[in-house]
Amino acid sequence: MTAAAINVVGLSKWFGDFLALDDIALTVPRGCSTVLCGPSGSGKSTLLRCLNGLESWEEGEVVMSGRPVGHRPRDLVALRRRVGMVFQDFNLFPHLDALSNVALPPRVNLGITRAEAEAEAEMLLAQVGLADFARKYPAQLSGGQKQRVAIARALAMQPEVLLFDEPTSALDPESIGEVLDVMISLAEAGTTMVVVTHEMGFARRVCHEVVFMCAGRVAECCPPERFFTEPETERARAFLAQVQY
Amino acid sequence: MTLSTIPPRLPPEVSRTGISSGLRGMAAESPVSLILWFALALGAAWILPDLISWTLLDATWVAEDRSGCDPSGACWAFIVNRLPQFGFGFFPPQERWRAAVALIWPVAALAIALGPAFRGRSGLVAGALAAYPVGATLVLWGEPLGLRGVGTAQWGGMTMTVYVGTVAFVLAFPVGLVLALGRRSSLPALRVLSTVFIEVWRGLPLIAVLFISVVMVPFLLPPGTELPRLALALVGITLYTSSYLAEVFRGGLQSLGKGQAEAAAALGFTYWTAQGYILIPQAIRAVIPGILNTVVALFKDTTYVLVVGLFDFLNIVNAAVADPHWLGLATEGYIFVGIVYWCFCFLLSRVSARIEWDMARGAAREART
Repeated sequence: MTAAAINVVGLSKWFGDFLALDDIALTVPRGCSTVLCGPSGSGKSTLLRCLNGLESWEEGEVVMSGRPVGHRPRDLVALRRRVGMVFQDFNLFPHLDALSNVALPPRVNLGITRAEAEAEAEMLLAQVGLADFARKYPAQLSGGQKQRVAIARALAMQPEVLLFDEPTSALDPESIGEVLDVMISLAEAGTTMVVVTHEMGFARRVCHEVVFMCAGRVAECCPPERFFTEPETERARAFLAQVQY
Repeated sequence: MTLSTIPPRLPPEVSRTGISSGLRGMAAESPVSLILWFALALGAAWILPDLISWTLLDATWVAEDRSGCDPSGACWAFIVNRLPQFGFGFFPPQERWRAAVALIWPVAALAIALGPAFRGRSGLVAGALAAYPVGATLVLWGEPLGLRGVGTAQWGGMTMTVYVGTVAFVLAFPVGLVLALGRRSSLPALRVLSTVFIEVWRGLPLIAVLFISVVMVPFLLPPGTELPRLALALVGITLYTSSYLAEVFRGGLQSLGKGQAEAAAALGFTYWTAQGYILIPQAIRAVIPGILNTVVALFKDTTYVLVVGLFDFLNIVNAAVADPHWLGLATEGYIFVGIVYWCFCFLLSRVSARIEWDMARGAAREART
């Protein structure tokens, strides 16, 4: 059975009295990349953070590879070992060099040996074009380089799904390109990805589905060709007019 | 070869105003500093001749008792005569090497920390310190090792000061970490418990803590068990120090952004592995000066073990000053105490500076390709 990688059913979340996510339904098929977009405050980052349990939710269910995700700490740890995440502000571990940033998580959490982890880490750093930067500390890297190390670090856990939370929002234009190149090659290689981004170029070019969120609801959910040419809602049209051109 | 001959553009000459530019540069900079330098020189000229002749030129280094000392100079013979006692307390003379081991052990660890870097150095220093409480206790006590048993009543002097300071620090370190984590815990019971514990021990004067541990703790033990006063005092000092360290560690943990904990969680770290591999190492690095500051204070505070009848370095000198054969030599005694304490504390502050320097360099290390 080719179950969806992620299935979100009736998910609602409140911050105090504020309804941040309102009855969300979302399906991310395996091997597909999905872009979450929408105006700020629409709940897209919050939804993304629910998918690996960084945020809790009050109603509904997140189903990962056919299994509902529980709320107990042990369930969340198990979930996060299968779901990688790349953050807006990188969050590399500053006391470790690039190689150790990538090699430490699988060594500690997947129980592989140091030698295996470091060989794998070197391969992943080469994959994101940073083979020569293995011994550099995060403070010595540019923003784009940091984000590529962060992607390699997330990949090192061999996740079934990779989440990106505005991965290029803290970068200068040149760095944005190098990070997007890595993401595009991942998407083309069939990685299951959920990406919160304002990079509509990326959405248009590689993603399989665009989810447009507005005020905590999924307002639109369709393939990029249709979303960019004939959006159904007025709100999406206004949003596209703002972010493009 | 006809490579470019254009010289590289160098920064313009700037008149430097640091300490390195010397006296003339500073005087040129401001009349206030000229006056200060002059006052300093005048003060030195006034004090130094007398000081040098008293401490060195007219001093007596070898004498049998007070009457053998030249009264116009310092009587260092008193210190020289009592040096073994100041160093090792009432340890039996033929077993003093054991006291010396316990005394030199942490000093050697600090010296290695200050010495040239080599692979595994920090591990060696940390290991030597971690092994100290058990190791030094065995060496001093001796019985379990098949050596002649020496009771804690005979321990004393600098050995006692270093032993109490080091053991209390090494034991308080993990306790402080656990307390700091407890105070930041999401479990209310744990948070309240840690907070109360920290505030109680931190709010009491150390002297009271020592009295409580020596007088009250025996009531809590099953009847018949007897612990030496030194062990009870160590429990008190350890808890007292751990509450200070806990607050230092908490400061370090709070300085880390929320992103570090989230990144660790997102990579599948559990609470404890995230703390151990990601958060605590960074937190400790952030508060090295605060930790060393606590250690210096602890080192000096160990002298309060006097109130429970233990003879640390200061107290043993204090007792010697009252010796009828060497009456009236308090000045020499306290100068000696001051110099020794200062040397130890300076050593500690050098170690702190060295760790910070190493870390700054480590963070900026060039790639090994």
